[in-house]
Amino acid sequence: MVPSTVRTNLKTALQAITGLRVMDYVPDSTNVPTNNAYAVVGQLSMNYDYTLNRGFDFATCNIIVMVGRMSEKDGQARLDGLLSSSGSTSIKRAIEADVTLGGALQTLRVVSASPGTITSASIDYLSYQYAVELIG
Amino acid sequence: MAIFMGNKVAVVAGTTTITSFVSTVSLNREVEAVTITAMNDTIQNMIGGVEISNVTLELFNDFAAGSVNSIFEDAIGTKLNLKFIPVSGTVSATNPSYTMSCLITNWTPINGSTGGEAATASVTFPVTALTKSTSA
Repeated sequence: MVPSTVRTNLKTALQAITGLRVMDYVPDSTNVPTNNAYAVVGQLSMNYDYTLNRGFDFATCNIIVMVGRMSEKDGQARLDGLLSSSGSTSIKRAIEADVTLGGALQTLRVVSASPGTITSASIDYLSYQYAVELIG
Repeated sequence: MAIFMGNKVAVVAGTTTITSFVSTVSLNREVEAVTITAMNDTIQNMIGGVEISNVTLELFNDFAAGSVNSIFEDAIGTKLNLKFIPVSGTVSATNPSYTMSCLITNWTPINGSTGGEAATASVTFPVTALTKSTSA
């Protein structure tokens, strides 16, 4: 598993969602697109030696998705679409469309999504944190 | 050789190296204890009988042609050669290989759960012949 390739390919997979602005690094500041969302592919937590003799490793990756200010009703509605397990705006569906990420992995699974807030420039943004398990 | 980590064991099934699909491997060598306690003995007496060794593997399954599933499933009811090397690489006096003929008594082609774990098979096979080598 090459972390940079995995992160790049996760970014590409997420960009299948129309209008979703995706970054594979943590930006200095946020600029949530109007009427859409913003995703950051986080760093990988690595567990080496999942199989023998440096065969495969196991990693988890957190993906943070922000949609807008806490008070914004439309933002909450957009999160519902991203949170769905199916449909064109589904984060899980977009990532699991190719579980090998173009051959970068053996397999992956989007395990969970937890709600929360991200504070940037004193503004609270609605967010979800996705946990993705990676084997490769 | 000194103390070594157990995460570099090489595993060959038939002629195929399957190391990268194996998470756990063990060879347990054991002989039967045959009781020969006589009337005038005051404590039980035993001699070593035949060897009753077995191997245990935890494998990640793969249905690709010639990969893990076909190797073991096609061999059910027959004997399959397995070879283990403690540290993948050159076999030597301090890194001996163990080549065994094993009766494939069981296999788990399907092992799914809602927990989202990778599909695995946990198997134990009786050893019917064993050769320890320091050169091959």
